[in-house]
Amino acid sequence: MTERPFLWVVAGSAGSFTPARQFVQEMPYRPQVAIVLCLHRMRKPRVPMIEAFSRIPYWQVVEPQDKDPIESGKVYLAPADYHLLVEREGYFSLSVDEPVHFSRPSIDVLLESVVEARWPRAGAVLLSGANRDGAWGLYLFHRAGYFTAVQDPQEAEVPTMPRAALELFTPNRLCKAHELVQVCLEALSL
Amino acid sequence: MLPEALPEIAEADLERFFQIMQAQFGYDFRGYAPASLKRRLGTVLKRYGLKDLHALNQRLLAQPDYGERFISEITVSTTELFRDPSAWVAFRLQALPLFAQAPHLRIWHVGASTGEEVLSMAILLKETGLYERAHLYATDIDTYSLAQAQRARYPLRLKNLYQQNFAAVLPGVPWQRYVKEEGNEMVFDPALLERVRFLKHNIVSEAPFASFEVVVCRNLLIYFTPALQDQVVTRLVDSLMPGGILMIGTKESLFWCAAAKRLVAVNETERIYRRRSL
Repeated sequence: MTERPFLWVVAGSAGSFTPARQFVQEMPYRPQVAIVLCLHRMRKPRVPMIEAFSRIPYWQVVEPQDKDPIESGKVYLAPADYHLLVEREGYFSLSVDEPVHFSRPSIDVLLESVVEARWPRAGAVLLSGANRDGAWGLYLFHRAGYFTAVQDPQEAEVPTMPRAALELFTPNRLCKAHELVQVCLEALSL
Repeated sequence: MLPEALPEIAEADLERFFQIMQAQFGYDFRGYAPASLKRRLGTVLKRYGLKDLHALNQRLLAQPDYGERFISEITVSTTELFRDPSAWVAFRLQALPLFAQAPHLRIWHVGASTGEEVLSMAILLKETGLYERAHLYATDIDTYSLAQAQRARYPLRLKNLYQQNFAAVLPGVPWQRYVKEEGNEMVFDPALLERVRFLKHNIVSEAPFASFEVVVCRNLLIYFTPALQDQVVTRLVDSLMPGGILMIGTKESLFWCAAAKRLVAVNETERIYRRRSL
C-alpha cells in the first residue's frame, strides 16, 4: 500500500451542505490529501448528492464502495444509509449497524474509526447541524492529537451540532464558513 | 461520562476474545473488519454494563450458554422488505427471466437475518409464477434472528417504509395480497414461507450445502476483511450452478475477490452477477 494520505474530514448535518460544497469547489489541489465529506442526508433523496458535486475543479468526487482503498486526490462522499469507517490497513469499510443519534452515516462512527485506526495524519471540521452527532467523535479526535475545527455557532445555520462540540472541548480553530479552505491549508501545514 | 462514550477495546483482550469464540463456540471472528467489530463490541459491553472486553471474555468463559445470545448481539440484523428497490427491479427484469423455463429454482439467502429479504424473494416468485418450482434456503449464524424470520411478523412502525419499497418493485400489486395487520404487527401470508427452509449456517467456516441457481448475500461481506471476502465469495461462486446468479449489496465490491473472474455482470450498478458457463 502507498503512503497514507492526509485525511481531511468535513462533517455536518442541517445547514452544512452549502458550506461543504463551497469548500470542495474552492479547495486547491494538494498532493497526498484525501477529503471525506460526512454529511447527514435524506435516506431516499430525489437527486443523489453526488450530482451536486459534478463540477469540482481539482478533485475527483466519489461515493466509496466497501473496502475501497483511501487514495489521494479524491473527495469521498459518505453514502446514504451506511456508516463509513476507516480501517488501519488503509481502506474504508461500510456498515449497516444501527443509526447513531438517528444518523447513518454517523459522524461519531467515522471520527472514532479514524482514531481507532491511528491514521497517521488527519484533521476534521464540524459544521452546522441540528443534533449532537459528531461532538463526541470530534472530542476523541482532538484528544488523540488531530487538528480540529468547529464552525462558529454564531454563523452556523443550525448551531446545535457545533455548540455540542464546544461544550466538550476547545478545538484548534473556531471558524466561519468562508474560512474552510484556509483552515484546511493551515492543518496541512502543521 | 457522556452517553456516547464506549468502553475501549484493548488489543490483548481482542486476541483473547478471538480465541474464546473459536475454542468455545466455533466462531472465527478474526476475518471481521476491525473498525466495525470493535465498535459493535463496545456497544454490547455498554449494553451489559461491562467495563471492558476482559469482563466480557470472563463472562463468555463462565457462561457457555451465553454464547448464542451473544452471537445475536454481535451480529447486525439490519434489513428491510425490498431494501434498495431498484436492485430488486433489476433482479426481476434481468435475472428472473433467465429461469423462466428452469425445472427448479434453488435460491440461497446467505445472512438472512430477520427474513425480510427471503419474503421479498418469495413475493417476487409468487408474482412471476415461479414460486411453485422454487426451493428457498435462508441461513444465518444468529438463531434468534432466524426464529424471528420464521414468524414473518414485523412491527407496524416499519409499514410505511416496507410498503413504499413494495410499491416501487411491484407497482399495481395490492399490498393486502400478502400482508395483514394484527395489533401492532404486520403479518405476512404464511404461504410465502411454505417453500422456505431456515437453517443455521456459518458462511465463514462451513461449506455450502447444495448447488443453487441464485445466491443472495447482501450487506454481509461489508463486515469482512478483504481476505475473508475473497474466501467467502469463492465459496458463494462455487455454490452456484453455471449460469447462476449472485446478488450482493449495492455498495459492496468484488475488487478483492479472485472468484470475480468467474462472474460476468448482469447489472453492475445493482451488483447482480452471473456465473460463467464452463
